[in-house]
Amino acid sequence: MRSWLSITLAGALATAGMLSVAQAADPIPVGVIANLTGQDVKTSLQMTRGVELAADDINAAGGINGQPIKLIVEDSEYRAQEALNAATKLYTVDKVEAAIMFGGSSLMIPVAQLAKEQGKVLINTSSSSPKLGEYPGTLFSILPLDDILAKDLGNLVAESGAKTAAVIVPNNAFGLGVAEAAAAAFKAKGGTIVETVAYTEGQPNYRADIQVLASKKPDAIITCGYGDDSRTILRTVRELGIDAPWYAAYPSILEVENPEWMNGKLSGVDNGGYAQGVGKAVLDKYKAKYKEDDILAHVYYGYDAMMVLAEAMKKGGTDAASIAKTMPEVVKSYEGASGKIVWDDRGQRIDPPLDIITYKDGKFETTGTKN
Amino acid sequence: MIDFAIYSVTVIAIWSVLALSLNLQFGMTGLVNFGQILPFAIGSYAAGIGASLGYPWWVGATAALIFAPLFSLAVILPAQRLSQDYWALITLGAAEIFRLTMLNTPSFAGGADGLNVPRFGDSLTALYVSLGLLAVSFFFAERVSRSPFGRMLRVLREDEVLASTLGRNPIRYQASISAAAWIMAAAAGVAYGHFSGYVAPTSFTVTETFIIWTAVILGGPGRNIGVVCGAIIIQLLGVSSRFVAQWVDLPSDLIANLRLASFGLILVVMFIYRPQGLIPEAREVHDAERD
Repeated sequence: MRSWLSITLAGALATAGMLSVAQAADPIPVGVIANLTGQDVKTSLQMTRGVELAADDINAAGGINGQPIKLIVEDSEYRAQEALNAATKLYTVDKVEAAIMFGGSSLMIPVAQLAKEQGKVLINTSSSSPKLGEYPGTLFSILPLDDILAKDLGNLVAESGAKTAAVIVPNNAFGLGVAEAAAAAFKAKGGTIVETVAYTEGQPNYRADIQVLASKKPDAIITCGYGDDSRTILRTVRELGIDAPWYAAYPSILEVENPEWMNGKLSGVDNGGYAQGVGKAVLDKYKAKYKEDDILAHVYYGYDAMMVLAEAMKKGGTDAASIAKTMPEVVKSYEGASGKIVWDDRGQRIDPPLDIITYKDGKFETTGTKN
Repeated sequence: MIDFAIYSVTVIAIWSVLALSLNLQFGMTGLVNFGQILPFAIGSYAAGIGASLGYPWWVGATAALIFAPLFSLAVILPAQRLSQDYWALITLGAAEIFRLTMLNTPSFAGGADGLNVPRFGDSLTALYVSLGLLAVSFFFAERVSRSPFGRMLRVLREDEVLASTLGRNPIRYQASISAAAWIMAAAAGVAYGHFSGYVAPTSFTVTETFIIWTAVILGGPGRNIGVVCGAIIIQLLGVSSRFVAQWVDLPSDLIANLRLASFGLILVVMFIYRPQGLIPEAREVHDAERD
């Protein structure tokens, strides 16, 4: 009788042990929302890959207290309706407590509202609208706010000796934010903005928008943009014979149209800190896994977003309330691929390390750093 | 899961109202409106601007229902002597002009930053409002479809000259049905604004117009129940393909592209083998003396 009891007890304990192991190994779902189709796909895809690299590292190191991370990637098609569809699925069906998102403010804000209503967390890796600060405790930004970076851009243009500048930006929250802050900094140092062109994206030709610059003869052009639009803009300016140097916010996300013409002519301010430490390691892993050399800053933002989230989950728990509470604490001691992350009390990134980079011989070189 | 079902039904109801609105114009009357997103945008922006000025929701809603038919007349009346090709171009242009105006008037309409709109109190409220709106719209569209007015719209669709020889003024019928259809779409826009909690110019592009067109063509132009089915299928395809994609172990970017490709393939197959739509318009025979 005693032996049967022992066997039964041992069996029960073994089963309980196996169950607890199984529970401990249950994956923790993390949502990723990105425009994998639609516009600006390259940047968005690289952000997603950055998240995947971080999840690989976390899982290889034992996961979140023994539980692996499971990424659920949803396409937003760069449409607000589809972004909401994706976020609703992630939050209500897949039961993710936090999602990492790439997308413009027109996608990020409705999703942030949804996340707030659902009591979930959203980590922004791409949008910089001032409205993002209206969701403290819900929305956290890994990407620095544009006005910080653009202020340095304006100063850079003034320090180059330019007295006049034209501004060419896309007519969206990103473009207008950069234009306003860079122009203000440039004017504060005695410069004059001779023309501001805010172009509507997706046009096959921008000659009508840019023609006006030919007669203004600016000493410099301040810009930002991405994808095919930036290539079309650069081609149009070249064809119009405007030969001023370009100063860009995030020059690495511009699509250089004619490397020979652009050689030494394009510089600007980008997020810094990638060239060494964690950034260098991420770069090497990215090249090894995806066999690509052309890497944008959003790889590092995606990586840092996942890492900060994982650290918060390890230390505070995996539910959204704990993540929102713990993340601002965790980030203080986090040295990431995109440098040290400093958040204001709304969870928006301030004071990022910045690099001044210049396009030379077909690639960007770091010519200055501001930490 | 139930939350997602509630959300999906709400989205379907809103887009079904838009499909019914286009069906009144194109399916019944033959008006090729490539700017169907315009009245929807008017509704959403009325809700957003009303909220930004501090007015209660019903002020924005009322403004939408007043301005939408006025806009429809402003767009359509100048085109009264033009053929259908020009209607398509004019409505397409009008929608883009409105979107670009909202984009370039940040002090009034939020510009590229858009406007916040107070969300419905909870998801069930959004569901009930959207289903209520769909029920009213469907009832109205059916009444129009079965009325002598609706039969005259079909005569107009088939042959405007014939309608004129019957002593009818085509533009009066076209303007009337457009105004009514735009009110429906604007009401859907108000609901969408309060449902999504945010309006921005990027939400009202030509792509959205063609999603509505796809629903109408897929469901069966001229048949109200058909276009509602079309809207349901389009939205369910978009949602369900996300779950299918999740089961497939492929790179995320490849899955995203395959998902859209399969979506397109299904539609192409449908259009090839069922060009009249899933539920085509029924042929009706009326006795003129008894009617």
